[in-house]
Amino acid sequence: MSNNLDAYLILSGILFAIGTFGFLARRNAISMLMSIELMLNAVNLAIVAFAAFSRAVDAQAQGSVIALMVMAVAAAEATVGLAIVIAIYRNKKTPLVDEYDAMSQ
Amino acid sequence: MRSKIVPIILALIVMSAVLGIAVLMLLLLGQDWGDALFWVLAAVMIGAGFLVVTMRDIIRCGLAMIVCFLALAGIYVLMGAPLLGAAQVIVYIGAISVLVLFAIMLTQTKDAPSRLVFQTQAVPAAIASVIVAVLIALAVAATDWGELPQRVRLATSAMSKVLFDRFTFPFEIVSVLLLAAVIGGVFLAKREPGGPS
Amino acid sequence: MTIDAFIPLLVILPIGGFALTAFIGRRLGKGAHWIPVLVIFGAWVIAMGLAYQVLSGAAPLLSGSEDVHGYALHWFTWIPADQFVVDVGFLVDPLTACLLIVVTTIGLLVHIYSVGYMAHDPGYWRFFAYLNLFMFSMLLLVLADSWLVVFVAWELVGLSSYLLIGFWYRKRSAALAAKKAFIVNRVGDVGFALGIMAIWINTAAVDGIHTLNVRESIEKLLAQGDANPIPLFLTALLVFAGAMGKSAQFPLHVWLPDAMEGPTPVSALIHAATMVNAGVYLVARSNELFASSPSAMVIVAGIGIFTAILAASIAMTQTDIKRVLAYSTLSQLGYMFAALGVGAFTAAIFHLMTHGFFKGLLFLGSGSVIHAVHEEQDMRRMGGLAGKIPITYATMLVGSIAISGIPPLAGFFSKDEILGEAFKFGFYWVWGIGLFVAFLTAFYMFRLMGLTFWGVFRGPKEVWDRIHESPGVMTTPLILLAIPSVLLGLALGLPLGDSTLHHWLEPVFVHAEELLALPHEPYALAGIDGGLILASVTVAAIGVALAWRLFGAELGGIRLPARPEVVRDVSARPGLAFLYRASLNKWWFDELYHLLFIVIGGRIASALWWFDREVVDGTVNDVGRATIGAGRGLRRVQTGRVQNYALGIALGLIVMAGSYLILAGSPR
Repeated sequence: MSNNLDAYLILSGILFAIGTFGFLARRNAISMLMSIELMLNAVNLAIVAFAAFSRAVDAQAQGSVIALMVMAVAAAEATVGLAIVIAIYRNKKTPLVDEYDAMSQ
Repeated sequence: MRSKIVPIILALIVMSAVLGIAVLMLLLLGQDWGDALFWVLAAVMIGAGFLVVTMRDIIRCGLAMIVCFLALAGIYVLMGAPLLGAAQVIVYIGAISVLVLFAIMLTQTKDAPSRLVFQTQAVPAAIASVIVAVLIALAVAATDWGELPQRVRLATSAMSKVLFDRFTFPFEIVSVLLLAAVIGGVFLAKREPGGPS
Repeated sequence: MTIDAFIPLLVILPIGGFALTAFIGRRLGKGAHWIPVLVIFGAWVIAMGLAYQVLSGAAPLLSGSEDVHGYALHWFTWIPADQFVVDVGFLVDPLTACLLIVVTTIGLLVHIYSVGYMAHDPGYWRFFAYLNLFMFSMLLLVLADSWLVVFVAWELVGLSSYLLIGFWYRKRSAALAAKKAFIVNRVGDVGFALGIMAIWINTAAVDGIHTLNVRESIEKLLAQGDANPIPLFLTALLVFAGAMGKSAQFPLHVWLPDAMEGPTPVSALIHAATMVNAGVYLVARSNELFASSPSAMVIVAGIGIFTAILAASIAMTQTDIKRVLAYSTLSQLGYMFAALGVGAFTAAIFHLMTHGFFKGLLFLGSGSVIHAVHEEQDMRRMGGLAGKIPITYATMLVGSIAISGIPPLAGFFSKDEILGEAFKFGFYWVWGIGLFVAFLTAFYMFRLMGLTFWGVFRGPKEVWDRIHESPGVMTTPLILLAIPSVLLGLALGLPLGDSTLHHWLEPVFVHAEELLALPHEPYALAGIDGGLILASVTVAAIGVALAWRLFGAELGGIRLPARPEVVRDVSARPGLAFLYRASLNKWWFDELYHLLFIVIGGRIASALWWFDREVVDGTVNDVGRATIGAGRGLRRVQTGRVQNYALGIALGLIVMAGSYLILAGSPR
């Protein structure tokens, strides 16, 4: 199994699906952000899996580098996102996203 | 009370099932440590991920997320990218998860976790995510990737050569991005001087 | 210049009179009658001059004809539209000349009479304006030489009739009667319009050239015979439908009795002497068209004689003096159509002329009576008026004798000619029914005389004390009308069998008579014709005698008392009681029409309205409602929440990826 690219990819897919469900179904904004992190990780896993099994030699190294970049970006995004959630929380006094419906007015 | 326990029990069941299968495979089909490790790590990761999205108490969700990341780091190492595994632990668990936990603490409401965990659109969301998983699985299985039959061990030196040679520009951009994120985060979350707490 | 240059004046003068009176009549007040009367007098002079020229043969031959003298004047082209060309022109042949005599003479006398009758009416000027409008329409109708112009005049006559019947428009019954007249007329006019369209289509059947000229089109139709796309039978019946409406034949007869709501001069002019004769004129003008279709002729005769007996039966029990005369008019019109239907065209025109005079006389006389008893029209409250209003009495007596067909007055000649021709041409049923109707006519006319002029006065005493004869301006026309009622028959009907009128009108009808192949035996006074004369006179005498027995008479040396109790007994007998009631209720025709058209028609109209409301409007409204509903439903997608939008994105992604997989992923 560990030598099978498809296995890693399917694993990544399952994790991505779990992340999607969490993003769409949870009420707390921070849960949504955690689900986003799960999705990003799933993508990372896929990238590394491709890199580990690719025939092109330079692709193997590049895969890890790209995964590293993704990690950095994920960190930046989590920072800003959480800062926003805290700011909104201060305004609306609730972290629940279905109460943020000012856009529907 | 019941809704707190059910997802945990579910996850435990799944994990133990996978573990059981792995042990069985190990014992009955011969010893391929790589495969067994893969199964174990995969089971932990999926189980923890499932718990992240289904548990009621957010703090526990955060902790489950940490476990998930840990398992993922293990898989990276298994795949032959130990630097990445280390980076995963340092960045995700050490930085992002802590940040998330801090944010959770800062946005706790007075009353206990609210009545509903899920939105009204939870059921369609569940269906959608199942379909997404199925689609990805089908796409993956149906495609000929032209891959190597064996995974390759990614040498750290090769990786660093590529990182600082070809990817210098993105490297620098990412550092600027991180700076911007830090400044932005500070600014956004800053309390107004003399404003409400 | 020759007299035919004056022909347009015959129509210009009345319409000018109408326009002038309409604009400045109100200011002229009591003098508003001068313009209309003078205008009609001028028209009368021209008409008599024209008639003299045409009937005496001094007029030139009409183009395209070997024996018809007259004037054909083309005035201007009204519609020059390539295929559809309508010229306005005038045709004055012997038939038109006879009509002109009747129309203008009676018109003039009615105008003079109205000066007295309408003297106290606030709408004096309006009345004369309408009268002039009517004269214009009627003259245009008899003079026109194009079917379309005839139709225009036809409608204008109907309009004038509406205006005049509803003259006292504040009175609800008058307004309703005017509406009824116009609408029933309209029903007939639909048929007439279809007939004109049929003529239009037929004229182009062979050589592709349309024509609406009356003489030319009829010639063409006959020449084409079976090549006509629309059969001549149908065309003739459609034209007759128009005549039925205007001349109040069954089943369109219901408007004429109600039309008595108008002032009496109107009843005299329009509903006795001129407008109702328009239908007879129309059929006479298209006599060749009818003659080429014997079945149409039979229908005309049948409807005519049926109307005659129907109306006569109703007249027997009516109590309003004008209603009796109205039903009498219906009955006599029926005679005219019966004559036309059996092929006795000249007899019909003869009766038209004599009837115009004595019925006009009777109506104007009844107006004088009504005026005398201070607007009372119910005969049950009259009686014994002979001594108080002698001139009116004398002239009405003359009129009654004339209409009953007692020789040697005018009605005898014309009525006898109709009955005689019917018998000789083999229409025995027409003759039989006509004879019975003659009996009824004599009966109800002398019933009228008995109730009105003889016996004792049955009204209030105050009215009796104030009864007076009408002013000279009203009695003079009565006397002037009594003269032709006495003499016209002698003037036109002699010598018997080969009358003067027959000579005048022969060229107009000769072609039709050839088509019909009617038997023409020499007049046998000692033989069949004498027998027929004897029959009709006897029948009339019996009718008169019976009326005298029941309603009294004070004539010359005869003194008979009225016997109302006998009348009551007779009308109460089992078989006769139903007939009496039916007659009194006008054979329930108004109720039948009300049921058919108002009630049932109203239901159908409601059903259609429901359909229009629910289905047609409903469809349109539902489209709108569906749009609004769809909008409202779609609005719910926009919740303002990010997660809902994200779900949408996820769904879209699934759909795209899935379809790509399915479409492109099948072959591995």
